[in-house]
Amino acid sequence: MLNYVLRRGFMALLVALTVSFGTFALFHFATDPAQTIAGEDAPQEMVDDIREQYGFDRPVLVQYGDWLGGVLQGDFGKSYFWKQQVVELIQEHAKVTIVLALSALMVTVVIALPLGISAALKPNSWVDRLALSTAVSAQAIPNFWLGLMLIILFAVTFPIFPVSGDATWKHYVLPSLVLGASSVPAVMRLTRTGLLDVLSSDYIRTARAKGFMGYQLILQQAMRNALLPIVSVLAVQLGHKLGGSVVTESVFSMNGLGRLAVESIFNSDIPTVQSLILIFVLTFVLLTLAADLINAWLDPRIRMG
Amino acid sequence: MRIRPPVPFGNCLIGLLALCALPFHANAGPEDDRLVVALSKPLTTVDRLYSIQREGLILSRLTDDGLFFVDPQTLEFVPLAAASYEWVSDTRLEVMLRDDVVFHDGSPLTAEDVVYTFEWVINEESDTSRGPVIRSWLESVEKLGPGKVRFNLKLPYPMALRDMAISIPLRKHGTYDEAGGETDEQPLNGIGPYRVTEFRAGREIVLERFEDYYRDSPKANPAIRNMVFRVIPDQGTQQAELLSGGIDIMMDVPPDVADNVSHLPGVKRLEGNDIRIGYITLDAAGYTDPESPFTRLKVRQAINHAINREEITRYLVRGSAEVVHFACHPRQFGCNADGPHYPYNPEKAKQLLAEAGYPDGFSFKLWAYREKIIAEAVVSNLKAIGLDVDLRFVKLNVFSKVRNSKDMQAFFASYGSGGTADASASTGVHFAANSARNYSGDEALADTVIAAEQTIDPDERKRLYRQALNRIAEQAYWVPMFSYSQNFLLTPELEFSVPKDGVPRFWQATWRQ
Repeated sequence: MLNYVLRRGFMALLVALTVSFGTFALFHFATDPAQTIAGEDAPQEMVDDIREQYGFDRPVLVQYGDWLGGVLQGDFGKSYFWKQQVVELIQEHAKVTIVLALSALMVTVVIALPLGISAALKPNSWVDRLALSTAVSAQAIPNFWLGLMLIILFAVTFPIFPVSGDATWKHYVLPSLVLGASSVPAVMRLTRTGLLDVLSSDYIRTARAKGFMGYQLILQQAMRNALLPIVSVLAVQLGHKLGGSVVTESVFSMNGLGRLAVESIFNSDIPTVQSLILIFVLTFVLLTLAADLINAWLDPRIRMG
Repeated sequence: MRIRPPVPFGNCLIGLLALCALPFHANAGPEDDRLVVALSKPLTTVDRLYSIQREGLILSRLTDDGLFFVDPQTLEFVPLAAASYEWVSDTRLEVMLRDDVVFHDGSPLTAEDVVYTFEWVINEESDTSRGPVIRSWLESVEKLGPGKVRFNLKLPYPMALRDMAISIPLRKHGTYDEAGGETDEQPLNGIGPYRVTEFRAGREIVLERFEDYYRDSPKANPAIRNMVFRVIPDQGTQQAELLSGGIDIMMDVPPDVADNVSHLPGVKRLEGNDIRIGYITLDAAGYTDPESPFTRLKVRQAINHAINREEITRYLVRGSAEVVHFACHPRQFGCNADGPHYPYNPEKAKQLLAEAGYPDGFSFKLWAYREKIIAEAVVSNLKAIGLDVDLRFVKLNVFSKVRNSKDMQAFFASYGSGGTADASASTGVHFAANSARNYSGDEALADTVIAAEQTIDPDERKRLYRQALNRIAEQAYWVPMFSYSQNFLLTPELEFSVPKDGVPRFWQATWRQ
């Protein structure tokens, strides 16, 4: 197990380094960070001053080496745009994204699991068709459109929730619905398929013969096995939500990591973008690893190798 | 098979609905005398000395005063914290200070504060955003008496008043010392008509009317007590906030959005001409290729004749937008040229191309980063005279890189002059020798532009700008396109003036009685 973890960790590091150098090089070859930082209407003196001050006139490899050296010593640098330590900046924004991602995952689970279970229990019934239609709709609707529609309905027409911001729990309701809805199709389908498979297996027949019925049979006996692939998918979905809530955060004007990433890219805030990329890559790897470990805990066959 | 839900949902649902009935934020509007303004971009600081953003300038006009300010009507630079001023010579400016100005912490403004502010800005270690510009003309500043300071300039620089009005808010002596910095309780110690009570970077800035603001100021007695600037990047979300009463005003609204949303109940539209201009630059110097077709005058003239600026302005830019014929906005000082105009005439354009040796046209890339629809209209016009145009529509940071590397054959861009009604902010910026935007390669023109920037006498400046602008038009270095229209969407209870220089002054806002 230790070998497995180390191997995955090494791969993650390689991926993170490759992506981070690629991003760094792209920024320098495709954009002029000094002009972006100074602003489009800035006079030439200001642009030249910034170029010299931030060392953009040095070779790209030297600049990357400087940044990487800092990271290895725990110094992620200072944001060019916010003039603040990147670590502090990420800490501030991470809270919003973590809360949003977890709430969205909860929405996914609350909608997708009952739908998937209902569809599996009554295959080809109206419940099944309703569940599949919900899944197809959720897959087809773009996040920004759903977000705006929910805003119009629940914040403008019926002012139950605020339009934008992240100050109170109410600000998280609509964004969580939007972000959570995007994962419903995958989780719902997997639940339905997994449960159908499990329900037709021998041990369920035995359980029924032993008198397990209804809630006990489904949640205690069948779901434990059907959950295995769902856990993996949920872990990946959580990774997507932590790193891919850009649109939702923008539409609802939430100060999370997604919006920070977009603003940093547009402002050529290289230290922040670099650090965010490292975080996103490592988050994905850690969550996938966590999913494997949970699967091993749930399934003795995996645990025993 | 029936499954009994393990958790009774009914009670939870009722509880949730009850919680939803609680208010989540106080609404904007006249009821609580609180104006809420939406900002599309986050502000990283409330200190104008460290901000390059337009949003910073808008805020600074509320929280700060400089020695001078831009008169909203005439757009001239007139005394504000200064009582009077005198050019003792072309390089010496003496300023008398008002004696009734106080900082937000209650301390009076003194000559020491003015000297401190400017010395701080020209100190290279201070790292202020405007330092490089101010250092280029300001040698030193000295106190002559309790309310009198003298500015010693490195060279004659008429825009000194502009820089003092727009870029340099006054700071209390010791503000940037370790012990004298801003605190959470007082994020900024300015002298403006509003003081900052709360600043949350990237989220919200809360202002409160400063009751000890000097009574004789042209900005005195603002009508609205509290102001909040909320960062909402998405225009669609801003519209929803406006409709739900979460904000009172949206700025920089695209004309088509303004057309649609202004018809909704509870929304008012304000529109006016902006000082920002759109233009196309042609690589006349041949930076991309010494043999480039754009090095030929007749080709550049053909491009000028080929673009239907009147229709683009009327149907795409819309509103109060107007066609411009020179490399400046007509409202700017010095923008009074009488050089050639290039009316839309595709036949003449074809003829000029043929005379230049390109009867079958040629291929080139046109770069753009904003208003794609206008760039596409330009491409369509140019294709009509036989040119093969490849539109490269990119993000601004990519555009800047390619433009600054002098790798563009032609580009469509816009310039807001930082809200400055002076040709130095447009003609000067684009045709100075050291400007990355200068694709003319015309050294004599660059000299004229610099001379105009270093001449105090207004009449002589006008003559020099006329000479420069006529030269640009004769040589067709640019295709001057149009001035923009600016659109605001606001709540009908709000009264507000469209700014002539594109920079809103919210101290003028009032609630409709």
